[in-house]
Amino acid sequence: MKNAKKFEIYRTVFAVFIALLLGYIIIFMTNFSKENTDFLIGLKNAFDKTNTAFRYFLTSPLIIERKGIPEFNIRGFIQWINESVPIIITGIAVSVVFTAKQFNIGAEGQLFIGAVAASFTAVYFPGIPVIHSVMVILTAALSGAVWASVPAVMKSKLNASELVTSLMMNYVAVFTGLFIIKTFLRDPSAGQLVSLPYAETAGLWFLNSRFKWHIGIIIAIFMAILFWFIMKKTTWGYSVRVVGNNEKFAGYSGINTSKTIFNVQVVSGAIAGTAGIIELMGYHGRFLWLNGPGYGWDGIIIATLAGNNPIFVPFAGLFLSYIRVGAKTMGRYTDTPPEIVSILQAVIILLVTAEAFLAKIKEKSVIKEAGKFGKNIEKAGESNE
Amino acid sequence: MNQMNNTLNGIFSWDFISAGIRVTTPVLLAALGALVADLAGTPNIALEGIMLFSAFVGVITSAFTGSLFIAFIAGILTGAVMAAILAYFSLKLKTDIIMAAIAINIFSSGGTIFALSVLTGDKGSSASLKSYVFPSVTIPIIDKIPVLGDILSGHHIITYIAFIMIFVVHYILYKTPLGLRIRSVGESPKAAKSVGISVMKTQFTALIISGVLASLGGLFLSMGYVSWFAKDMTAGRGFIALAAQALGGSSAYGVALGSVLFGFSEAASYSLQFMNIPYEITQSIPFLITVAALAFYAWKKINYIKKIKNNIRK
Repeated sequence: MKNAKKFEIYRTVFAVFIALLLGYIIIFMTNFSKENTDFLIGLKNAFDKTNTAFRYFLTSPLIIERKGIPEFNIRGFIQWINESVPIIITGIAVSVVFTAKQFNIGAEGQLFIGAVAASFTAVYFPGIPVIHSVMVILTAALSGAVWASVPAVMKSKLNASELVTSLMMNYVAVFTGLFIIKTFLRDPSAGQLVSLPYAETAGLWFLNSRFKWHIGIIIAIFMAILFWFIMKKTTWGYSVRVVGNNEKFAGYSGINTSKTIFNVQVVSGAIAGTAGIIELMGYHGRFLWLNGPGYGWDGIIIATLAGNNPIFVPFAGLFLSYIRVGAKTMGRYTDTPPEIVSILQAVIILLVTAEAFLAKIKEKSVIKEAGKFGKNIEKAGESNE
Repeated sequence: MNQMNNTLNGIFSWDFISAGIRVTTPVLLAALGALVADLAGTPNIALEGIMLFSAFVGVITSAFTGSLFIAFIAGILTGAVMAAILAYFSLKLKTDIIMAAIAINIFSSGGTIFALSVLTGDKGSSASLKSYVFPSVTIPIIDKIPVLGDILSGHHIITYIAFIMIFVVHYILYKTPLGLRIRSVGESPKAAKSVGISVMKTQFTALIISGVLASLGGLFLSMGYVSWFAKDMTAGRGFIALAAQALGGSSAYGVALGSVLFGFSEAASYSLQFMNIPYEITQSIPFLITVAALAFYAWKKINYIKKIKNNIRK
């Protein structure tokens, strides 16, 4: 068992390495094809350019050169941490629901509708410090849960595919949400479609107010630990895991499977519901999305990288956010478009989720472990004699 | 009242029907692809990404070769290759097919922008390239008949292909050995295997058919609906196709009806905006209908199973 887990970690690291290598090759090829000089000089130039691009890509969220002297990039660092917050939260939501083998991909809609509903609380709720912020987050969680209950009911009562239903609900969420903002919360003094500004009491504390580093990351990490505990250490979490492993077995062993399937989707909806509003109240101070921000889909990537274990989700989220912020800076300073990062993400997902990728090595390690186990038993037998 | 009359005229005019058919085309093609894949038991969520990449390859190839034929072939090959990658990862390497499809969608969305930017220096659209569009077809005789001519004639060639595909897909699925294999593999892989059908080969074929159908939809978007490639131009049509397929069930005709509902409600949302009916409401109606229809199908299936169980007891 231990070896199998270690193997998962090695495989993830290996997949990331292959993706980075592929990224390097692609950037090199695009640079090389633009060179019109002598072959060798062109080769050298392309290598130089690619190395520069890669240096920005891999180091810029932490280190930036000012006048030739490398120094800590506080702005990049805070951007990195802030951008990881909503995707860590959706990552937790997706991990929880995927653990039960429920392919509810509605996090995108849940966070959108959660943010819209919570915008009302953020604008109109009486401005009592702390309580106001808590109420805003609770409104978002509640709305996300309500939104998730539609596919949840249909799956648990009627056995209708939660995949398609939750996907439909994403579209309905964006259309309905925009309609609500436009009709009831629109800021008439703003040029584009944004909500009225949130009340000052509906914000989050800043760790650094100059670059708007808000406490979202602490909330996100707290949620990760909380849900790690719930999933691994409580009866409810255990029943969710059993349902995910083998629904029939769960039913035979006395777990109310349809109730568990309903509950897990609603809980995941509540988590996802808060993902958007925390960014809006912490950073922007109003609702300003004209489309789904895509965090729901990012949550799926992160949950996959984290092996659906909430405790690994912050690491996966920070990793994804790191390469994105790095890619953005690379795009600003070099000719390489930052969208290269999507290609890397796709490769990482494909390789991490490919069960048969490197499976030969896994098989060997499992056999080796089993062999040790066998020897131990033999030894124990001998000593007994 | 007058305004309302105008709008109603707008909705029920022949122009509106033409517009509806135009909007339906890409959704219909992708939805037929979704149907073939779904019946084989390998739901294809990557239609969105496949459409997008084919749209991109079509435009770029036509701009660089100047040949519509090569662009057409390249676009379709793109669809087939991407579907083959999806099939290879999900069937051979045992990646979860939903995950593999999500990866392909991410790859397409970012990869097309990356390639567009490298090739043209522009990230938003391919407007700087001189690309070509597939021709529209005027059907002789019919186009002279007053109303019918307006509706039936003068459409884009891929629109005709799309509507012919309804019958082709229906024929393949329900009248050919391949269709029987696809359906039996989807229904029960074990039973299919026991009678000597190669499950993997059949699912591979079904996925490639679905990829090719989706790629036609993509080619229509960038080389018919408009004459350029723009980033994320599929705008969720691949997912809408999944909804249309869910609505239409397992019949190609049902799926076609589902696609028409989505296409026409999108077209209607533009007209109804003038009547102060917000487009958000009009556009979310088909999604709500799909959710309701899914609930209804599931409820019917449960009752059906109950009925059979009762019959067995008797």
